[in-house]
Amino acid sequence: MSASTIRVGVKQVKPILSVDTEEAKKRVLNLYKAWHRQLPYIVKKYDIPKSVEQLRLKLREEFMKHKDVKDIRVIDMLVIKGQMELKETVNIWKQKGHIMTYFQDTVEHKPTDFLSQFLS
Amino acid sequence: MLRSSLIKVLNGAKVSPKHVCVTFRAASDVAKKPEKIEVFIDDQPVLVDPGTTVLQAAAQVGVEIPRFCYHERLAVAGNCRMCLVEVEKSPKPVAACAMPVMKGWRIKTNSDMTKKAREGVMEFLLVNHPLDCPICDQGGECDLQDQSMAFGSDRSRFTDIQFSGKRAVEDKDLGPLIKTVMTRCIHCTRCIRFASEVAGIDDLGTTGRGSDMQIGTYVEKFFMSELSGNVIDLCPVGALTSKPYSFTARPWEIRKIDSIDVFDAVGSNIVVSTRTNEVLRILPRVNEEINEEWLADKSRFAYDGLKRQRLITPMLRDNKNELTPVDWEAVLLTVCKVLQQAGPNVAAIAGGMADAETLVAVKDLLNRLGSELTCTEHVFPMDGSGTDLRSSYLLNNKISGAEEADAILLIGTNPRFEAPLLNSRLRKTYLHNEAQIAVIGPKVDLTYEYEHLGNNATAICNVLNDNCPFSSTLKNAKKPLIIVGADLLKRADGAAILSLVQSIAAQTCNKVEGWKVLNILHKVASQVAALDIGYTPGVSKIREAKPKALILIGADEGAINKEDLPEDCFIIYQGHHGDLGACMADAVLPGAAYTEKQATYVNTEGRAQQTLVAVSPPGLAKEDWKIIRALSEIVGHKLPYDNLNEIRDRLDEVAPHLTRYGEVEGANYFKQAAQLLQEDEEKTLDDSPIDLKIKELQDYFMTDSISRASPTMAKCVQAVLKQKESKY
Repeated sequence: MSASTIRVGVKQVKPILSVDTEEAKKRVLNLYKAWHRQLPYIVKKYDIPKSVEQLRLKLREEFMKHKDVKDIRVIDMLVIKGQMELKETVNIWKQKGHIMTYFQDTVEHKPTDFLSQFLS
Repeated sequence: MLRSSLIKVLNGAKVSPKHVCVTFRAASDVAKKPEKIEVFIDDQPVLVDPGTTVLQAAAQVGVEIPRFCYHERLAVAGNCRMCLVEVEKSPKPVAACAMPVMKGWRIKTNSDMTKKAREGVMEFLLVNHPLDCPICDQGGECDLQDQSMAFGSDRSRFTDIQFSGKRAVEDKDLGPLIKTVMTRCIHCTRCIRFASEVAGIDDLGTTGRGSDMQIGTYVEKFFMSELSGNVIDLCPVGALTSKPYSFTARPWEIRKIDSIDVFDAVGSNIVVSTRTNEVLRILPRVNEEINEEWLADKSRFAYDGLKRQRLITPMLRDNKNELTPVDWEAVLLTVCKVLQQAGPNVAAIAGGMADAETLVAVKDLLNRLGSELTCTEHVFPMDGSGTDLRSSYLLNNKISGAEEADAILLIGTNPRFEAPLLNSRLRKTYLHNEAQIAVIGPKVDLTYEYEHLGNNATAICNVLNDNCPFSSTLKNAKKPLIIVGADLLKRADGAAILSLVQSIAAQTCNKVEGWKVLNILHKVASQVAALDIGYTPGVSKIREAKPKALILIGADEGAINKEDLPEDCFIIYQGHHGDLGACMADAVLPGAAYTEKQATYVNTEGRAQQTLVAVSPPGLAKEDWKIIRALSEIVGHKLPYDNLNEIRDRLDEVAPHLTRYGEVEGANYFKQAAQLLQEDEEKTLDDSPIDLKIKELQDYFMTDSISRASPTMAKCVQAVLKQKESKY
């Protein structure tokens, strides 16, 4: 019963951009490539203390954060957000600090085990 | 106040056979239930018992009639006239609080006549009430304010052309707890009725008539009672307000957190009001099963002790023999080293305010270290079944059960100061249920009359062997009740006394299903939980064992001192106040007081309840069970719980009732407990007089580490002593 309701729900949903997984995948790959091409310019224009290699790793990491997303609509939404980020980066609407926040160098992680929590 | 039976006789009623001869009691009790009558409240039909007042009938259908003098738990006075309502075909409005309904009455609580009556009453009240709400402590929680907004007129006819001023009354000095601004008084007489009915001291009364009427104590006298603070809650206006709380906060700017009181073993429900991480005041919370809506003065006013004498940082004794502040790491490592060297020679003593979580954590830690020496500060006889059967250490019949009793025997206890709210129930039973009460122990003022049977163990034997008239009263009573004080059982012959009492309880004919005769009244909040968890009552075992390390969990009563312990014994004190325990300690671990932690307490009935966090612990102080948990990890015996839920699961494992909050886990096996105790070797009775720690009011105020640190409580003691010197 509940499964059929879900199926009906899925059928009736309007797609954002992609109609099937293939198309969504294509969009993701396109976005990835676009970012990838821009990385050397980002290093240069923003004058950040990171190399292109490091940025590539970070790019991959950011994409891999969402590797388990299966919903096409969510993937599309993430792609759109990624495009917006890219546009802001390429047009220098961002500043150095915005780029560096991807690396979170200055964030101190809170202790998770009982004793360090107790003593902190 | 007179007992209800006496009032009836004075009013011309026939003396019921019940009072002439006890044996007729059973027959007179079975009365036919009268039929219900139908009345209409705002055209809503409702069926009520005959004798119900209009106000109660209206409450049944959810219509609240405004009132000032009427209070559910006090006698009806009917003098404020605020509850006037229209009754159809009646020429005048009637006072709803005092008028019993008649068949077919149509009551209109919102008609023009009713509204006009209310407006009129309101106007008269305000003629002589100062408009000082902005500087009045009751502002924001004032019945007069609220009701004048809801039912008063929208314009005033009060024009004081002559500038003669409003009525003004001199303020009274009622002691260090109650501030009076008598000009604000509207003569509802709630305080008078409370004092004479519930508190049992007829100190308050009225003098003068008409506009000269005054509420007061007749002579210069303090209103000192263990329940005096309740008149502050009862006062519908700002005439009686709290002195320690005066001018500190407004009700809309404080956070209110529900909690549990730990100053006695009753476990009263309270509301803690806080602002900016400070406890500003404590008010009672309604719980019909425990404290109704009253609160004892120590519970209400000792909160200022929470800010003084606090342990705010871990401390270690240095080579100059002084306690010096250190950080948590240092103290934990030192204690860890000591515990590792001591091996299984470790002991722990739990004080009166330890919570169940801490008790379990300490016991788990000590058991892991190989020690079984977990004791409580307060002694309880361990002979026979000891504390294995819960029935031998609980107030089995519950606090509310005391209301139904018809013969009560108090042995070695002073409930007035050991559990003021239980005593108020006993007084209620005495007044309304015509209970016969007898006392074995020192002669103390209990606010009701009782038969004094003696002050030694022989008196208990006399009751058992029918050598005194009260024993037949007790044995023939339908619902007899025996309350034994924990103080008495502390004596060396405690087991023998308990055995005697158990035999008396067994002799009473138990006619009522579920009625439990034998009741133990504890004095401290932690005792029942500690015994449930498996602590050994009393510290004699520790004296014998000569431990190398001793953990005191808020143990401040001086049950053990340095002389009892070997030279090299390292004392670790964990608690919230710098009191006796912290003085003799080598290491101090600052813990949280009851307003600063979410913790479980079991009251003397066996009812588990939890406190909630109202403020955060001061300085470096931490929640108690967490300290033990951290220590265990450093010692190398990590306890398997990291958060509150996990330790509560552990509590559940040890004793499931510890996490069933609000419910009483009853006990049974009275017969078996008595048998086991009698099978034990012959015990000798000590015939020395029974002594109590708290006999009079001045002993009541300062009994534990928090109340000893409280300036308000110190002032109370001073006031009582001063009162004693006065000629009144």
